[in-house]
Amino acid sequence: MSTTLPLVPSLPLILRGKLADVVGDDHLITDPDRLLVYESDGLTQYRFSPSAVILPGSVAELQEAIRILHLEGRAFVARGAGTGLSGGALATEGAVVIGTARLNRILEVDPANRVARVEPGVVNTDLTRATRPHGLIYAPDPSSQSACTLGGNVAENSGGPHCLKYGVTSRYVQALTVILPDGSRVRLEGAGRGWRGPDWVGLFVGSEGCFGVVTEIEVGLIPEPEGVRTLLGIFDSLEGAGRAVTAIISSGLLPAALEIVDQETIRAVEASVFAAGYPTDAGAALVVELDGVEEGLDAELELAASCVREEGASEVRIAQSDAERTALWAGRKRAFGAMGRIAPDLLVQDATVPRSQLPTVLRRIGEIGDRYGLTIANVFHAGDGNLHPNLLFDRSDAEELARVEAASREIMEVCIEVGGTITGEHGVGIDKRGYMARVLSPEVLQAMSEVRSALDPSRLCNPGKVLPDELPARSELPNEPLPAPDSGPIEVESDRHASELLAAASREGVSVAIGRGRSSGAPPGPHLRLSARGLRGVIDHSPPDLTVTVGAGTPIGELQEALRASRQWFPLDPPGGDDTTLGQVLAEGLGGPLCTGYGRLRDHLLGATLVTGEGRILELGGRVVKNVAGFDLLRLTVGSRGALGLITRLTLRLFPLPAVDRTLVWALDDPAEAARIGMRLAATGSPIAALEWIAGPGSGPCVGESASDDAVPAGALVAARLHGNRPSVEAMVRTLEAAAGIASPRGLEGEESVEWWERRARREGTGAVSVAISSLASSSESVAEATRGWVDLGGRASLHLVGGGVRLDLDPEGESAADRARAILDEVVRAGGVTPAPAPELSGVLGVFDPAGILPGRWRESWS
Amino acid sequence: MELRAALEEQKDRLGHCVHCGFCLPVCPTYIQLGDEADSPRGRLHLMRAVVEGRLEPESDAYQLHLDRCLGCRACETVCPSGVEYGFLLERARALAVEARRPPLPVRLLPALMARGGARSVALAMGRVMRGTGIPETMAGRLPTTGVWGRLGLAMGMLASSRPSRLDAGPAAPAKATTEPRSDPPSRGRVAMLTGCVQSGLFAHVNRATRTVLEVNGWEVVEVPGQGCCGALHAHSGRLDQARDLARVNVSAFSAAGVDHVISNAAGCGALLRESGELLEDEAAEAMAKGVRDISELLAGEDREPVRGAPLPLKVAYDPPCHLHHAQRVTTSPIRLLESIPELELVPIPGAEECCGGAGIYGITHQELGGRVGRRKTDAILTTGCDVVATGNPGCQMQIGAGLLAAGESIRVVHPVELLAESYRRAGWG
Repeated sequence: MSTTLPLVPSLPLILRGKLADVVGDDHLITDPDRLLVYESDGLTQYRFSPSAVILPGSVAELQEAIRILHLEGRAFVARGAGTGLSGGALATEGAVVIGTARLNRILEVDPANRVARVEPGVVNTDLTRATRPHGLIYAPDPSSQSACTLGGNVAENSGGPHCLKYGVTSRYVQALTVILPDGSRVRLEGAGRGWRGPDWVGLFVGSEGCFGVVTEIEVGLIPEPEGVRTLLGIFDSLEGAGRAVTAIISSGLLPAALEIVDQETIRAVEASVFAAGYPTDAGAALVVELDGVEEGLDAELELAASCVREEGASEVRIAQSDAERTALWAGRKRAFGAMGRIAPDLLVQDATVPRSQLPTVLRRIGEIGDRYGLTIANVFHAGDGNLHPNLLFDRSDAEELARVEAASREIMEVCIEVGGTITGEHGVGIDKRGYMARVLSPEVLQAMSEVRSALDPSRLCNPGKVLPDELPARSELPNEPLPAPDSGPIEVESDRHASELLAAASREGVSVAIGRGRSSGAPPGPHLRLSARGLRGVIDHSPPDLTVTVGAGTPIGELQEALRASRQWFPLDPPGGDDTTLGQVLAEGLGGPLCTGYGRLRDHLLGATLVTGEGRILELGGRVVKNVAGFDLLRLTVGSRGALGLITRLTLRLFPLPAVDRTLVWALDDPAEAARIGMRLAATGSPIAALEWIAGPGSGPCVGESASDDAVPAGALVAARLHGNRPSVEAMVRTLEAAAGIASPRGLEGEESVEWWERRARREGTGAVSVAISSLASSSESVAEATRGWVDLGGRASLHLVGGGVRLDLDPEGESAADRARAILDEVVRAGGVTPAPAPELSGVLGVFDPAGILPGRWRESWS
Repeated sequence: MELRAALEEQKDRLGHCVHCGFCLPVCPTYIQLGDEADSPRGRLHLMRAVVEGRLEPESDAYQLHLDRCLGCRACETVCPSGVEYGFLLERARALAVEARRPPLPVRLLPALMARGGARSVALAMGRVMRGTGIPETMAGRLPTTGVWGRLGLAMGMLASSRPSRLDAGPAAPAKATTEPRSDPPSRGRVAMLTGCVQSGLFAHVNRATRTVLEVNGWEVVEVPGQGCCGALHAHSGRLDQARDLARVNVSAFSAAGVDHVISNAAGCGALLRESGELLEDEAAEAMAKGVRDISELLAGEDREPVRGAPLPLKVAYDPPCHLHHAQRVTTSPIRLLESIPELELVPIPGAEECCGGAGIYGITHQELGGRVGRRKTDAILTTGCDVVATGNPGCQMQIGAGLLAAGESIRVVHPVELLAESYRRAGWG
């Protein structure tokens, strides 16, 4: 494990000169003594000295340096604060380290659209410090957040204690500017910025610096929760704390964080300067944090406390002040550093298991520790099933080191055995490469390797990381005959069936269209059409883990029905409503009003099976809620519209059904006034599930009654959907009514609320002309203005007031109406203020999945 | 090689660093340079490399990066492993200066401070120079680079040590507006470290300290045998000199029979507090236990100073690193200032960051020290304060020189000067 590479190839003088010309002598380090400090990052088991370190002071310098390194064939690796725990920023192969510490400007904070643009060297907490005056925060909070940089967070797809409720880095990154390994610069944007196509941003997040160096990051911000409650449960045993976690999740609560520290960790923390006052004789401590609308929190706290007590907590403490809460968290967040108190060296493991497996896994880790005579201190994000066993040892004792390595391997095996994965948030880096073949199939490993080669053919960008050097052999492709093309859609029956069909089509060079036709279009000439409609139904639902695996052909309504008994659901209301299939939502990257409060499907997609254009079956992701084992090919499938292959099944992370589902509707004569009110509602920062501006026939003011669905309102509606317990929903109603400043709206509750939104979703996407246009939330008023003519033509329009985005439907009557409609669309685009991103030149990546070029991504010219 | 052995003994302490990197964003030199070798973790890594025999103490890397450390110890406050960075730095520097003799100006100052006679002469010359008003005129008018820049900084620092006329503040002095003070109960006997720079250039701060102590019921005992605390020597790796000086003070203060030894200079207070570790003897340990910063004694957790007359000034408090990070005295100076009626306390953004004073850092590391100093000056200027308060002579001079160079008339005072002024206005001192 202790690896030193003594002979570092020094930098040739000419290259040294070129780099010095770019970054300046002061920012080029080549003295081997000075380079010593870069030989390790947060993981000290490995030492690799770089051949040089450069500290560029601008993006232009960074780009030019990479261009030079690429031309000279010299490996390089980006490094933020060097806090990583998988050796991801180490300079293997004599690489040049590119430090981003000087690229630390916060370029923009845009409170109206809840986004910020930053350079990669900005420290995680500095961003929230800058946005907090606007009532906004950057949600992902890795334990090292006071030091780690956002560039590093993007590379590692960092998590943190609060991602149980708020999700990991990937959910918040909306756009990236990347210097590719050849020194070229690309801008990658997500669906919120007008991009329709494969989720390139999703692919780059978590790529561990192997696909290029990020120079600008645009992240989404969330309103700072109004209230917080923190509870500490003291348990005699680790298992008790684990059971309490399961009880809390089963009770329907979704805490902001659920963290467990065991006895060894408590002792270390209490001995450190961040002592939080935990009893040092306790077997384990469970931290439960609840946040949200102030009024709803006490009831939630009560419920959580009763779960904790029922599972045998010997003591329940509730933080009474901000200072107590901060102290309590400081003890947890800095536990890793505090380990230095009890042993000279430690190995921090990182693995994720299905939450229901926690008690078993913890017991077995304890047994492994006993068997090897090692102290193992456990700190973990229990809500996510993300474990961090810390193996304590003394490096100078070679025999002990060997035991640590063996125990570490056994822990990994246990996690894999119960359906977990080898890393939840620390990344693979250099440390976990050896385990990759244990969790990923040869097909997936090969695909990852080829994607990497497509982006970095000469493998200069962070070499020796993530993927093992030797890839296991893949199985043979099927060799079945090709059915006659153009004989109608073929309903795929199984992965194997899809694989046979696509392999045959690839072999014969016959184009393939995926889906039922409407959105994916048709290729020119003879082709096969494949549909996943037949792959229908729930394959596996684990209520305690809040996960479900379903066939891609399953309509949303059918999924919700299957989940209802366990009081769970998946929040999704795309155009077409409950009849839309999950495969369609995934492939087209669809979203609906609920994205406001819950995020998109991509944010909760844990796994999927993709049968590639070549006919390879790729099991992507898994069924754990945090997973950074390898490149995120899973996210790439989102919005790919059949360009990679056919999705046959998906695994999703579920949510507890809200106790109260309430909808408020304001009807206004003036659409622009409605938009203004809507923006005021958004500005309250209330955790609204959905907030829409709606105009046109069928939006009906007479909501919830025996409404004539075809009634044409003169103006527009603003509809807010609120989820939560009764006190929190009622508090939100009061806040919103006060902010609207006009007469009390009509309210719908329960089934009525559900049905109202379902009706409006069904009407969307049904027009002969049906368009989604990206817009900034801050331009909602001008967008509303611009759609007046559309509604006059008899069209329908709706607008997400928080994230932005317009949807327009129309059945134009006659040529002149169609011309007029086109003119209005142009106007809306202008008013929306978002220029759709040009497609990045990354088609080589698509070729990995579709080498024969038979899928839509290759034969269709544009993505829009 | 004796020192190498000492560093070897510290191996356990070095082992505590788990490389988490939390110290990086709080390190002033890392903030400025972005090079991890100029971060606490990087410097500890270099120290460890020396201990492991992978790096020579005379190497440029070891010399340069250890020398560049300001010694502010902000890293200790955030270190979850409790690495005693300051302690290690002193020993690591001892090794560095043994391996390579530092340049003359760096050797000069500690040598001067260690010799009572020479020191008195130099400080007296400084006072005469200061009295002419020339330093104040020169500061801010000289070029900022090269020799002139160094001279300008030195002049600015000297000028900033002069007593400030606080009654020239915005409001007219409200003399004796409060009730006549009843004699407070006698609280105990204290001895004051009068210091070398403090007594030579900041006699007014020492006077103010005595005033506020007496008003608050403390009897101040004279301890004539005391001398320079040796902090400057310890910080620059001259541990033997530092020990010699510390021994003098330990025996002087131990013999005084007082409840507490009071310091009004953060750097000196920190050294007194750490005398036990420095000398490794029981007498030093016992004396160190009784050491208090003046703010703690007057406004510690369980007490409040006697309230004087209103002092309507807008004051920005800048915590000296050796008070905030080394002694962990964080709230007392604020409580002390808050006790003054009508004084408005304004926060300085990034207050807990070093001002760049660090002894004569601005002269030995002109460019870098200037950058660190300007960051502090800029932060102070955002507050719109009338006066800056800080409890260490080095910081008073560094911040004062920075403000003078920026053409600002904001004065820098010790918190006790404000309290004493409030008492003076009440007619007590």
